[in-house]
Amino acid sequence: MLKFGLVTGAALAGMPGCSAVPRRPDPGTPPVRGGVYSHGATGGGLKDTLEPYFPVTNPDISRCLQLYEPLLRWDANYEIEPSVAESVTPNADNTQWTVRIRDGVEFHHGKTVTAEDVMHSLATVTDPNNTGSGGTELATILELNNSTVVDPRTIVLRLNSPYAVLDQLLAEYTVGIIPTDFDISHPVGTGPFAYEHFVPGQLSRFVRHENYWDGPAWVDELFIYDFADDAAKVNALLAGQVQSIDNLPSYLAGTIEQQGASPLVSETGAWVPFTMRVDVAPFSDVRVRQALRLIVDRQQMIDQALGGFGILGNDLYAPFDPAYASHLPQRMQDIDQARSLLRQAGQENLDVELVTSTAVGAGAVESANLFVEQARKAGVTVRLNKADANVFYGDRYLSWNFAQDFWNTRNYIPQVATSSVKGATYNETHFEDPTFTALIEQAKREPDPARRRQLLHDAQEIEYDTGGYIIWGFKRQLDAYSNLVQGLEPHRYLPCSNFRFSRASFVRQP
Amino acid sequence: MTDLVTPSPATETTASAPARPAPAGWPWLMWFARRIGLAVLTLWLCSVLVFFATAALGDPVRAILGKDYASSPERVAALQAELHLDRPVIVRYFEWLGGLLTGDLGNSVANGLPVGELVGDRIVNSAVLVLVSAIVMIPVAFGVAMISANHRGKRTDGVIQIVMITLAGLPEFVVGILLVALFSTTVLHLLPAVTIAGGGAPPWFAPASMVLPVLTLVIAVAPYVARIVRSSLLEVLDSDYVELARLKGVPERIVMRKHALLNAIVPGIQVIALQLAWLAGGIVIVEYLFSYPGIGASLVDSVRNSDFPMVQVLAMVIAAVYVGVNLIADVLSILFTPRARTAIAS
Repeated sequence: MLKFGLVTGAALAGMPGCSAVPRRPDPGTPPVRGGVYSHGATGGGLKDTLEPYFPVTNPDISRCLQLYEPLLRWDANYEIEPSVAESVTPNADNTQWTVRIRDGVEFHHGKTVTAEDVMHSLATVTDPNNTGSGGTELATILELNNSTVVDPRTIVLRLNSPYAVLDQLLAEYTVGIIPTDFDISHPVGTGPFAYEHFVPGQLSRFVRHENYWDGPAWVDELFIYDFADDAAKVNALLAGQVQSIDNLPSYLAGTIEQQGASPLVSETGAWVPFTMRVDVAPFSDVRVRQALRLIVDRQQMIDQALGGFGILGNDLYAPFDPAYASHLPQRMQDIDQARSLLRQAGQENLDVELVTSTAVGAGAVESANLFVEQARKAGVTVRLNKADANVFYGDRYLSWNFAQDFWNTRNYIPQVATSSVKGATYNETHFEDPTFTALIEQAKREPDPARRRQLLHDAQEIEYDTGGYIIWGFKRQLDAYSNLVQGLEPHRYLPCSNFRFSRASFVRQP
Repeated sequence: MTDLVTPSPATETTASAPARPAPAGWPWLMWFARRIGLAVLTLWLCSVLVFFATAALGDPVRAILGKDYASSPERVAALQAELHLDRPVIVRYFEWLGGLLTGDLGNSVANGLPVGELVGDRIVNSAVLVLVSAIVMIPVAFGVAMISANHRGKRTDGVIQIVMITLAGLPEFVVGILLVALFSTTVLHLLPAVTIAGGGAPPWFAPASMVLPVLTLVIAVAPYVARIVRSSLLEVLDSDYVELARLKGVPERIVMRKHALLNAIVPGIQVIALQLAWLAGGIVIVEYLFSYPGIGASLVDSVRNSDFPMVQVLAMVIAAVYVGVNLIADVLSILFTPRARTAIAS
């Protein structure tokens, strides 16, 4: 134990035992109370904030989930479950939603959550002068002035038009519940950990919320450290200074297993599409779009651009939505068919420019490079334009003819609202189909899930046939944790078991 | 200090017999004032360069808004006004310079907090890292140089020379990664791999976590200093007056300590100053690799965010360290060089 004398403070927590590489614990081992848990979060910097409605960086998101909780939340399968609210139920035509708050949910400062707090939170997130990132869509449909507080635990929310999936918007981590006396200098929420200390770009410290409604955390304290460098992050994990890290580089997945840590792999609905503008030649010809979609070798892109950590895409998004059109045939590479479509379109010697940037994120530039090669097989010349971040997301962003973008897991209707209908903020493909829009509008109002599903299937079929996205795959999230802790499990929503460190515990008393 | 003066007879005469009694320190003061004036001029030129170079860094508004730049022109306009980007660049320069001189460093673009508040602790942390590295590096480099010079031409010297050249050729991040693998993760588990141990307290509260960053910096700069000191030691050891001392029967150990070492100090000071000044900027990579809470990560982060108030202040801090360290080195060199001292005094 001599060597541990050298390691001080929080670093000690993760290093019981000796230099022998710890094995992965038996899943049946009972959790142990106590200890200081440290998480290494990727990225962050001086922009870091503890604001509940404006998380900017990845460490922000991980902090947000310790402090604040929405009314509903996503479970590990990306299905909605109750959280601060015990139920959120619509009326027959989806214009009124009744929120029933769980009994006895306490904020960190001891106050019990009431209807007033919920109303205050919704007003803050949809504030027209300062709409939080989770409130953009909410702000367009929610009529808070007409909504009523029935009793301290019940609210009736009124909408300006029927919206069948309001519960999906209320389950986003960016719609956390804060008390009416919220003050950002000492942020208070209902989450499993309470705020102690925060240095932007460096670290934050939390203590267990003893009265947490969902069972108090196993560990006493939680540190979240920012890591600008991947090597430092992985080294900290292997040296036992942090117990988990998010966004492990895929090439390290094998190495860390020999050094006492385990990768944590989760399916996600995150995608890095190629975006073709459907209103600009040559992509305005649907045959050209179809040809380019047929050129892609999707499996090769997953293997090489995502290091194998991906799921096959079919030019459709929102794979976890109950209405995902999984019945449509999987599109595969078909060079002959692509050539023939191009010939019909009179574009046999197609020459296009593809704009990419490292700013789009992991897998983007790699898949763009692969596309150049795959296109060559079909006689298509793709010129790659690797733009600087400021240029890519500059004046011409959303008007590039052929480019890329990134999206995180979302369900179908919220995704369509931000990317695929006329007037959507990020409609990179300029997709605008009246039948499609009508189907979506109808689905939003449709209270019957089976009929709604049919409408959404029809909408997806339109995109499958004529859309401007090439969606070749969904990323698998890769995180890692020390074999000295347990309780983290794959989660489809956010990295590192949805950052639920309240469920993590040390294998032995540290 | 008196030891220093003995080898040079010239000093004794001038120092003991000044031409006029009153203004003995006068030429010194003049020299010093001129040297300070030059330092200030250099810093001013740096400020011009830093300001106009960062002004050309890219549009900070674009960097701040990212994906939202294209979709919210009203936020673009608001931010441009807030950052005074609508005014001519010359006006902005003088406003900035005025702020710098009065201690008003402006606010960070990324989070709106005062730059002074954001960088204060980090500058201290980086300064401590450089200082500790210097305190470790100087005796190590001189020691290695002395051993090497003592064994000139023999196998020990050869081995030391090869090791020094190899280490000098390795980039710091390679050294750092190797040290971490050796002492923290792969081979041994002796030391923390990153400097996060204090849980928010300054890194030196957890001294173990500073060992590897310090070691990396020492390995990065010690070879240069050691090689320069070695060659000046050899030069002195070959000089006539050392030969004379030897002939007089002064033991080799004393020759080395009293004559050679003291005369090799001046070139040593110069190269140490250069290396320390280099450390102030070169520390970035080491801080990154060890997650050290210094200016390094802030500088990289600020450049990426086009957070130009931060970049400007950090660049000026690094420039000031360069100028300051060189000033100190010059003053020390003069103090340690009797002939130069004489030249100024006369």
